Amino acid sequence: MVQYNFKKITVVPTGKDFIDIILSRTQRQTPTVVHKGYAISRIRQFYMRKVKYTQQNFHDKLSTIIEEFPRLDDIHPFYGDLLHVLYNKDHYKLALGQINTARNLIGKIAKDYVKLLKYGDSLYRCKSLKVAALGRMCTVIKRVGPSLAYLEQIRQHMARLPSIDPNTRTILICGYPNVGKSSFINKITRADVDVQPYAFTTKSLFVGHTDYKYLRYQVIDTPGILDRPFEDRNIIEMCSITALAHLRAAVLFFLDISGSCGYSIAQQAALFHSIKSLFMNKPLIIVCNKTDLQALEGISEDDMKLVMEMKSEAMKTLIGQGGEPANDEGVLLTMSTLTEEGVIAVKNAACERLLDQRVELKMKSKKLNDCLNRFHVAMPKPRDQKERPPCIPEAVLEGKAKKAEQAAEKQKKLEKDLENENGGAGVYSASLRKHYILANDEWKEDIMPEILDGHNVYDFVDPDILQRLEELEREEGMRQEQEADDDFEMDGAELTPEEQKALAAIRKKKSLLIQQHRIKKSTAESRPTVPRKFDKDKQFTSERMGRQLSTLGLDPTLAINRARSKSRGRKRERSIDRGDQNGTDDMDVDGNQPNKKLRLRSRSQLRSRSKSRPPYEVVPGEGLKDSAQKKKAIKLAEKSHKKRNKDARKGEADRALVASREGSYFTMLCWKLHRKL
Amino acid sequence: MATRLQFENNCEVGVFSKLTNAYCLVAIGGSESFYSTFEAELADVIPVIKTSIGGTRIIGRLCAGNKNGLLLPHTTTDQELQHLRNSLPDSVVVQRIDERLSALGNCIACNDHVALTHPDLDKDTEEMIADVLGVEVFRQTVAGNILVGSNCAFSNRGGLVHPHTSIEDLDELSTLLQVPLVAGTVNRGSEVIAAGLTVNDWTAFCGSDTTATELSVIESVFKLREAQPSALVDEMRKSLIDTYV
Repeated sequence: MVQYNFKKITVVPTGKDFIDIILSRTQRQTPTVVHKGYAISRIRQFYMRKVKYTQQNFHDKLSTIIEEFPRLDDIHPFYGDLLHVLYNKDHYKLALGQINTARNLIGKIAKDYVKLLKYGDSLYRCKSLKVAALGRMCTVIKRVGPSLAYLEQIRQHMARLPSIDPNTRTILICGYPNVGKSSFINKITRADVDVQPYAFTTKSLFVGHTDYKYLRYQVIDTPGILDRPFEDRNIIEMCSITALAHLRAAVLFFLDISGSCGYSIAQQAALFHSIKSLFMNKPLIIVCNKTDLQALEGISEDDMKLVMEMKSEAMKTLIGQGGEPANDEGVLLTMSTLTEEGVIAVKNAACERLLDQRVELKMKSKKLNDCLNRFHVAMPKPRDQKERPPCIPEAVLEGKAKKAEQAAEKQKKLEKDLENENGGAGVYSASLRKHYILANDEWKEDIMPEILDGHNVYDFVDPDILQRLEELEREEGMRQEQEADDDFEMDGAELTPEEQKALAAIRKKKSLLIQQHRIKKSTAESRPTVPRKFDKDKQFTSERMGRQLSTLGLDPTLAINRARSKSRGRKRERSIDRGDQNGTDDMDVDGNQPNKKLRLRSRSQLRSRSKSRPPYEVVPGEGLKDSAQKKKAIKLAEKSHKKRNKDARKGEADRALVASREGSYFTMLCWKLHRKL
Repeated sequence: MATRLQFENNCEVGVFSKLTNAYCLVAIGGSESFYSTFEAELADVIPVIKTSIGGTRIIGRLCAGNKNGLLLPHTTTDQELQHLRNSLPDSVVVQRIDERLSALGNCIACNDHVALTHPDLDKDTEEMIADVLGVEVFRQTVAGNILVGSNCAFSNRGGLVHPHTSIEDLDELSTLLQVPLVAGTVNRGSEVIAAGLTVNDWTAFCGSDTTATELSVIESVFKLREAQPSALVDEMRKSLIDTYV
């Protein structure tokens, strides 16, 4: 939700201050030392920087002003109109427009002068150009001085506007001057609005807050309105009109039936009728104030007629929002702010009607469906006959009754009080054992060892723990026995001979599988892991499948056929190309050898292994005289790329502690002594 | 009667305390003011015990209990266990359990008759809950959230659950628990109900951020004053609609 807080707008300096601020910043933040002996490009750059920096600062400052002031077209229409009424929209926009123009002008000036500075041919000329640029910028700001002053005034005034949230629950109080509007808001909120016995004490909008049914309501006190043409109304009255026109609020129209405000009921009724268009679609309540001076029943017949007329108008607004026309309570109320009679009734009626209206609107919104569960109380349906009573100790129920007398009697001393008496938080340390429930109170402070004879005391803290352990073990033993019995019965005569056979087969198979698995596992580490499809042990053949199926008593032919049809046909044999060149004899041998391994070996053995050349043998073209020279060269080469010692072995760079001479001397002495002794 | 309070400037009071119908556990704090708030309200009736669990102060999230018993996580030290046994009346069974999910308070929500638990809790733990706390155990979720202990709080008289619980879920849970339930928040819109609220059959404590509306919902649904849960639908309905929609 948009928050309307105009207190955060930064201060707008006056034209003169503005210039001072910017120029002194340029002076402080840019280099100051330049010499005519510098390269001309450097001098130019020095001054360009000054011009650009000044322009940037002007730009930033003016931009914050333009951005921070609210745009009247973008904010809530209530604030838009209020600001228009107070400051005149045209004037306001003009001022901001001038600031914007100034910003653009300064930008243009800077651009021009930077361009000129590029052609500056001496320090003096560059400096003159800079001075001219800054001077022109300052002139621009000087010219918008009045606008800046005006904006600063507005800023100060806006900061003091009441923070009205246009979207929340609002109660709006309006009526002729001096009818008791401010007295009423003082009664129901803590706004503390000035109340004086003359007209137009309240010159602007005031806000207070009040609570009703867990909700907070914003109450707005408006200045009095006179009954005169719209154009003649002054700024103070227009504030009220703006609020009436734009806030969706419950409106309390105050009527002084005693006439002590200086206006007759007829005049007030005329005002009501002239502004009644502003009440459309709002819960409207006509409040007859000052009943301590004049009761509603006591007024003249003509006046009564006027009041009733207003009431019927107010009823129309009620119908407009879909309420029942028959229900006329809470439309015309009487009260006296002096005696406080009926004040709360008026507040409640206003809040209630506003709430009704808002809820009715919200019931139509789509958002309601997301929250429906939060207005629903799930009541339990009984699912069994069990009673699940609450458990409230008697003491609580008794305590409730006693509480009143107890409170009067004496305040119980709490731990907090003890703490405060004994040095406060951080000093006082409460005993945790104070409230122990033990058989004997003297035991409370007993110190208990945590470890005794190498045992954790708390493991044996149960007095009968050993007994219970025994019991548990006995129970466990009994259960195991029972299980064994059960197993025996399983093996026993309950099975038919066929079932027994099947059981035996299952067990045999199982043990076989376990055996196989164990063998596999024991050699698992030394064997490579090979995917099953390579089937090294020739285990998964179709023949074997056939055998297995037929032992189960099934006909394997179909399955075998299917497996064969699914398996991929053998690949084309690798053509033997080299064999042709080597000779036909070898090829014959290879071709006949069924084992691939043997076949390969036999072929590779054909060619005798060539002897490798020793490294020191001189190869022609190396540029070495003889093998001795080559050996030397190899040695040198090896030395040149000696491997770095990365094995954390001792190296020459390591710190070594050489035994000191005194030490060795001392040991020698000792040794000699020892020998002598 | 609901009380608003803070634990060392923190409004999550359900984290630092555990309130049941037979006892109240309170974390050891830097000052006694948190403890004294409970003490003033409860000390005449039930023991109010200062303790830590596994050396931490987040006791409300670590343990689960009702008037029959107290379940502690395996992180509880022997000394803490002994301290609790000494401080609690003999009618309360104190049991430390070996459950992998050691934040029992987050995984178990219970009153004196029914418990909702995290669906992944051990079978043994489930039995233990039934035995020690003397409750029926239901593995459930609240608003699609498996941490049932954090997302709902209920006594024998009423319950408050996560605000996103659908109406059907509310009805189902209410039938399981046999208490009236309402979806709501504590601590100015906090969805972790049990962290901001700790409640038994006659009193409740909630974080000091709790708004008047939230507080009145709590008081009505837990029947803490004369208010009945039906008040939520009658008198408060309009205020609630205007607040939430």
